[in-house]
Amino acid sequence: MNRLGPGYKFVVAAGFWVCTNLAYAAPRIFVTNEGGDSVSVIDAATNQVTTTIAVGKRPRGIGVSPDGSEIYVAISGDNAIAVIDSESLAVIRTFQSGNDPETFAVHPNGNLYISKEEDAKASVYDPKSGELIAEIKVGIEPEGVAISPDGSRAIVTSESTNMLHVIAIPEHSIVANILVGARPRAASFSADGKVAYATSEISGEVKKVDVASGKIIGRMPLADNKAKPKDILPSRDGKQLFVAGGRANRVFVLDEKTLEIVDEIPVGNRVWGLALNQDGSRLYTTDGASDQVSVIDTHARDVVATIAVGKMPWGIVIRE
Amino acid sequence: MCYRQHVKSACQLLVLALPMLAFSALGQPLDIRIAFVGAPDSAAHHGALLGLDEAKVQGEFLGQRYSLAVLEPNLEATSNFTAFVVAAAPEILLRLAERFPSQPVFNVSQTADDLRADCHPNLLHVMASDEMRSKAIGQWQQANPEASEVTARAWHPAFEKYAATQLNKRFEQKYGFTMNDDAWSGWAAVKLLSDMIARSQTGDGATLLAAIRENLAFDGQKGMDLSFADTGQLRQPLLLVVGEKLIGEAPVRGIADVEDLDSLISTVCAK
Repeated sequence: MNRLGPGYKFVVAAGFWVCTNLAYAAPRIFVTNEGGDSVSVIDAATNQVTTTIAVGKRPRGIGVSPDGSEIYVAISGDNAIAVIDSESLAVIRTFQSGNDPETFAVHPNGNLYISKEEDAKASVYDPKSGELIAEIKVGIEPEGVAISPDGSRAIVTSESTNMLHVIAIPEHSIVANILVGARPRAASFSADGKVAYATSEISGEVKKVDVASGKIIGRMPLADNKAKPKDILPSRDGKQLFVAGGRANRVFVLDEKTLEIVDEIPVGNRVWGLALNQDGSRLYTTDGASDQVSVIDTHARDVVATIAVGKMPWGIVIRE
Repeated sequence: MCYRQHVKSACQLLVLALPMLAFSALGQPLDIRIAFVGAPDSAAHHGALLGLDEAKVQGEFLGQRYSLAVLEPNLEATSNFTAFVVAAAPEILLRLAERFPSQPVFNVSQTADDLRADCHPNLLHVMASDEMRSKAIGQWQQANPEASEVTARAWHPAFEKYAATQLNKRFEQKYGFTMNDDAWSGWAAVKLLSDMIARSQTGDGATLLAAIRENLAFDGQKGMDLSFADTGQLRQPLLLVVGEKLIGEAPVRGIADVEDLDSLISTVCAK
């Protein structure tokens, strides 16, 4: 240590200062309440709702900017995206985003990829300016959007044409169309971006896809359990998948390799949304028909808290 | 010996080449011709047209090209159609089913139970039957003894759940009137056919008929995967309506398992 001289300590101290000052003091969870026209803000340390923000009609999709400073909310009933300052919790601007925006994903470069259900398009917006950057024609009733961690691919699901569209970024061209089970809802990528996972609501199944070849490499039906799965997320170590079971009122834990169900965690009614914290220890669910968020300890695979939020909670993100 | 070896290598070459031939066949769009038999201004035809539009969108991504021809019920149909979507009298349905035994013939307008009990192998009833409607009403009245004047429908313009809103909007915006049972049935027939075509990559009627009867898991935007019973009847939830007001869904919760679509069907094949 001494060999490095006193400068080393200074650099470490400076780095520490920058890091602690860039990180936010209190991790917060933001939840859209589709039926409550609001966003509930939860203090992740206490699991208490600290603020409820009125945002407009039928808020659904929600995302956080890469630097954590802004929260984006799709206001389906107002055809707009609302931007919330993640510190002051004020709605600092809104921009029009076309008909009935539902779900979107935030690209590492900050752009939003939004599915436009009524227009059969995925649209790319710069949320700083509200400018429409690109439009990509997809199938009917586009819904789920996921972006690979390196930002080179997006997946958009089209619910009424039963497809996953793999889109190259920045070209914004479709490189694969993958036919899956009826009514594909949500998708996500593995940490290395090579594999994607998707749920089909009506066929009640999970599909695993090789992104480069566009081929389905695994399938697991959950339908026997009356699931109507929605959100799907890999665990931080990549060994498991968490699936929001919809009307099964459970979160399914699947082995990532075999897609076998290894556990089922009972939560509230109509579980739709999922968010995982940075270290992977906590999974948060929106339980749409129970007006609550469940907090799951991912190691014990148990619900450790439930938090009452607004009416029909839908989307959920964590700002750490 | 030498000859045999030549034959063997030729065979090996052919085996290698076949998948490539199949691949190049996939490169060419598959032309699918569907016949609509019925009145051009009917709700069923408009439903089939919406289904056609949606099939075209899917076909653009997956390599099919669709067309829908309207045939007058009284004219003799020709055989170069993949399937028939029929909104016409029972005798026309039966005549088509017998004349084209390897093509799926979709009934999108007739509700009579005896058509189902006939169990024609290629007659597929997308339209909900009289029996399903009376069972749906029966379940509702069992749960709500004071209920009266209830009707059961396959579809309703005020139905919102399971993305029904989106389908109602697409239809109404396009044609300027609301989607009813016939329109939904016409839409569903083309949609379930095109989805099976995309999955099996064929326009061959017999192959599709077998796949539709055996492997269908169709999203009719009614919240469940739909399939055909042995009678050729499409299992589906029904909507309960008083006046023009939507009051519930069948199977009725508390009376039947809401996922048990067979609780609305007891007709079996007569033969």
